[in-house]
Amino acid sequence: MKKGRIKIRDLHKSFIREKTNEDLAALENFNFTINAGEFISVVGASGCGKSTLLRMIAGLEKPTRGDILCDGKKVEGTSPDRGLVFQEHALFPWLTIRKNIAFALKSSGRYNDYAHTIDPLIEKVGLKEFANSYPHQLSGGMRQRAAVIRSLAVSPDVLLLDEPLGALDSFTRMVLQDEIIRLWKERENTMVMITHDVDEAVYLSTRIVVMSPRPGRITEIVPVPMPYPRNRGALEFSELRTRLLKTLNFAADVERAKGLEPSTSTLARWRSTR
Amino acid sequence: MSLLIIVQYLYVPNFREFTPLDQNAPTNTFVWFLGFFAALFLGWNIVSLFSSRASGMLKKRAPIFTAAFLLLLAYDWATLSTGMLPQPFVPWPDAILNAMIRDREILARSLYHSLRLLFTGYGIGVGLGVISGVAAGRSASIRYWIQPLVKVFGAIPAVTWLPIVIVLSGNIPGGLFGGAVLLIAVAVWYPITSTTMNGVLSVPKGTFEAASTFGVSKLGMIFKVAIPASSPFVFQGLTQGMSIACTALLVAELMGVEAGLGWYINWQRGWADFAGMYAAVVIIAVTFFIVNAVLSMIRNFVLRWKEGIS
Ligand SMILES: Nc1ncnc2c1ncn2[C@@H]1O[C@H](COP(=O)(O)OP(=O)(O)OP(=O)(O)O)[C@@H](O)[C@H]1O
Ligand SMILES: [Mg+2]
Repeated sequence: MKKGRIKIRDLHKSFIREKTNEDLAALENFNFTINAGEFISVVGASGCGKSTLLRMIAGLEKPTRGDILCDGKKVEGTSPDRGLVFQEHALFPWLTIRKNIAFALKSSGRYNDYAHTIDPLIEKVGLKEFANSYPHQLSGGMRQRAAVIRSLAVSPDVLLLDEPLGALDSFTRMVLQDEIIRLWKERENTMVMITHDVDEAVYLSTRIVVMSPRPGRITEIVPVPMPYPRNRGALEFSELRTRLLKTLNFAADVERAKGLEPSTSTLARWRSTR
Repeated sequence: MSLLIIVQYLYVPNFREFTPLDQNAPTNTFVWFLGFFAALFLGWNIVSLFSSRASGMLKKRAPIFTAAFLLLLAYDWATLSTGMLPQPFVPWPDAILNAMIRDREILARSLYHSLRLLFTGYGIGVGLGVISGVAAGRSASIRYWIQPLVKVFGAIPAVTWLPIVIVLSGNIPGGLFGGAVLLIAVAVWYPITSTTMNGVLSVPKGTFEAASTFGVSKLGMIFKVAIPASSPFVFQGLTQGMSIACTALLVAELMGVEAGLGWYINWQRGWADFAGMYAAVVIIAVTFFIVNAVLSMIRNFVLRWKEGIS
């Protein structure tokens, strides 16, 4: 049986602001089940709680209410079964790229099983000449690629990606999107990826989760019933893109409409962001 | 390439011709000494003809070496040739070299004593400093207790405690040596603790979080993440600590410990043997220079991953 099924039940997360002691709701009423082997993209406005959601699935953050189950087991703390690629790369600067990956493998106790995959992985993402370089000697995009394969090398059941391709030019991005699909097909793991790029979401995912602005809730879940590899020029593709953009804009419109006629709750929210 | 080397080459034999002119020089030790370096540079020049790396190194260093020998020349001239500096309190190079040779056994033993004291104290201080620094960096409650300790006692020069250590030396295991070790260790502990703590605190949260998603153990978090991530800061403390340790060592030896180069200086001063005194001073200077050079070599090697180093 495939592993990597995630069940999010009535998830709620709020942060306590240090200065004012106010509660800041980041995520509310989040119910969602991700099947094993799915590729989920999460889109939504900046600050709507996408990273927070991912961090909670990874086990780095505790939910305020509700819980997350991974293959039936409650998520309490981190595990090599749930990898996370950070929004800022978070490679270890004192280790070369190859050693970064080896360190991840050794720490997770999977070195013996996967050591032979290190070099092929490095080669696949075009970093062969930089395997023995330190992170600061790489470009931003190269670092991001290295971070992706470092997490992938451990072969987690669930790989969580926080805008992994955000810093890249569109050409490199497309190349790496294909790379990610290939790796995903090969490993058959569950992918949960945050992105700001609607095209990317449509190109990669089996389902797309659209979130509302803060506090983050699910606005819509959009299935993408297209076979891989997908054609970016297909009519179906562009229709879905248009629809998604509408949904996202709609969410923003609602917020704007609220802003014109400030209710107590938006006023409170407005204050809390100052 | 050749121009600087030729200049260098011309300078060194100059000294050689110069020294035999000093009629009152009782021995040829200084000539040998200079001859040794002249030969060394000659050899280096020859190697440079074949190796561009050696030539590059020589070219870069030729001016400073030349300056060093000119200084030596000036010193020799001011003491031996003209007696401009008050005699007999400033002996000439030849006499200092001869004193080194005459007392080589006792000097070597003193050097050994000094280094043993230095490194025992330094090692203990560094070990404890790194442990407490990492602990304080990782745990807010430990930091609460250690921070004021470092702030208050770190501001007091460690040698302030020396008289107390001397008085209490009868009650300290290892006697005066143990006391001096303690003194140096404590002196080194402050800067190491505070730089290590700041280093650990400055490690981005994401670094620890990334490590935890790979399942790094608690011990691994300290030894494989916290310490390497903060090593630039730790080395800052190691360098600072070394200079403090050297000071503490000398003060301890000059004032109380009955062995080592500091003690030798005092002893020779008592006998008005100024050449011997100067010999020890020179050895101390050279030793501390080498110790620091080695430390910075280790630092450059360990921190080779860092931008701007190497
Ligand atoms: N540790 C924290 N303490 C307090 N507030 C936090 C913390 N982490 C996140 N927040 C708040 O929670 C909200 C959601 O943050 P999050 O980082 O999840 O947004 P995001 O959707 O990932 O945004 P972006 O697309 O810009 O990365 C923000 O308003 C943020 O201020
Ligand atoms: Mg984010």
